[in-house]
Amino acid sequence: MKNLIKAETFIGALLVLVMGASAPAFGQNPRLKINNLEKLSSKAAEVIDVTLDGSLLKLASKFISPEEGEDEAEVKELIKDLKGIYVKSFEFDKEGEYSEADVESIRTQLSAPAWSRIVGVRSKDDKENAEVYLMTEGEAKNILGLAIITAEPKELTVVNIVGPIDLEKLGALEGKMGIPRMNLEKEKASQKPAASHDEKK
Amino acid sequence: MKDLENELRKALERREPPDGFAERVLAQLEPAPTPKPGWREALLSLVRIPRLRWAAVGVFACVLVTAGVVHYRRVEQERAAGEAAKAQVMQALRIASKKLNVTWRKVQEADHRPPRT
Repeated sequence: MKNLIKAETFIGALLVLVMGASAPAFGQNPRLKINNLEKLSSKAAEVIDVTLDGSLLKLASKFISPEEGEDEAEVKELIKDLKGIYVKSFEFDKEGEYSEADVESIRTQLSAPAWSRIVGVRSKDDKENAEVYLMTEGEAKNILGLAIITAEPKELTVVNIVGPIDLEKLGALEGKMGIPRMNLEKEKASQKPAASHDEKK
Repeated sequence: MKDLENELRKALERREPPDGFAERVLAQLEPAPTPKPGWREALLSLVRIPRLRWAAVGVFACVLVTAGVVHYRRVEQERAAGEAAKAQVMQALRIASKKLNVTWRKVQEADHRPPRT
């Protein structure tokens, strides 16, 4: 009888270990499935589709030269540990070309416990939504992934970065590489509590 | 009977061979087989023939040129793929940075807006 109890305890512990080891199968994968948005390509006036996995990032990194300028040096530093960058951006000629369900299919993936929303802005009058999610792990809150969703009446953009991305350095690219400077007051995302604003005008 | 014995004895008595006999016999023997040349010797023997030498040089030069062209094309293809990947990285980061900052801006605008009454 005692041997049976010991065996059951051992099997239980083994199961817990296996489930913990297979955590990526339970929603801890920082890579989002955004290919379902490809159906919007036929309706969009402009489509930007970027899919860069680890091997392509390494290849690109070889051709990003710090000697070319400070911009490239910063970019090279930013992407050095990344495992993937995925962007789908659609610009439409008129409103209503994509549905809330299209965006919800992405948000559903971000509702997994490993993801936390650090910024959310919704304007019902402008019909604009902007959200930033981070996947972190451990006490040190190491970043495993970033997701940005911006939904406007005539534009939908989803950005998914897999790997330890530095948000400050990413934001600091403004004013460089053709990104217009916006004179923002910056705070570290980690120091700012989850900011969520619903604007009802 | 005695005559026959004498004749036999005379016929079988040891005699010294004539001069040059041993050399004539040895000369008629087949020469010892020469050892087969190794592949290096066989190759070198071909190259010693002037026309074949030039043909070998020509073939070697063609192989070198072909290898050089293949290598150059591979390097060019990798360079093109790398430059394309770099352009995509720049574009993706441009978009990510812009959207991140736009989101922060909206939060700050909302923070600075006076509360509704």
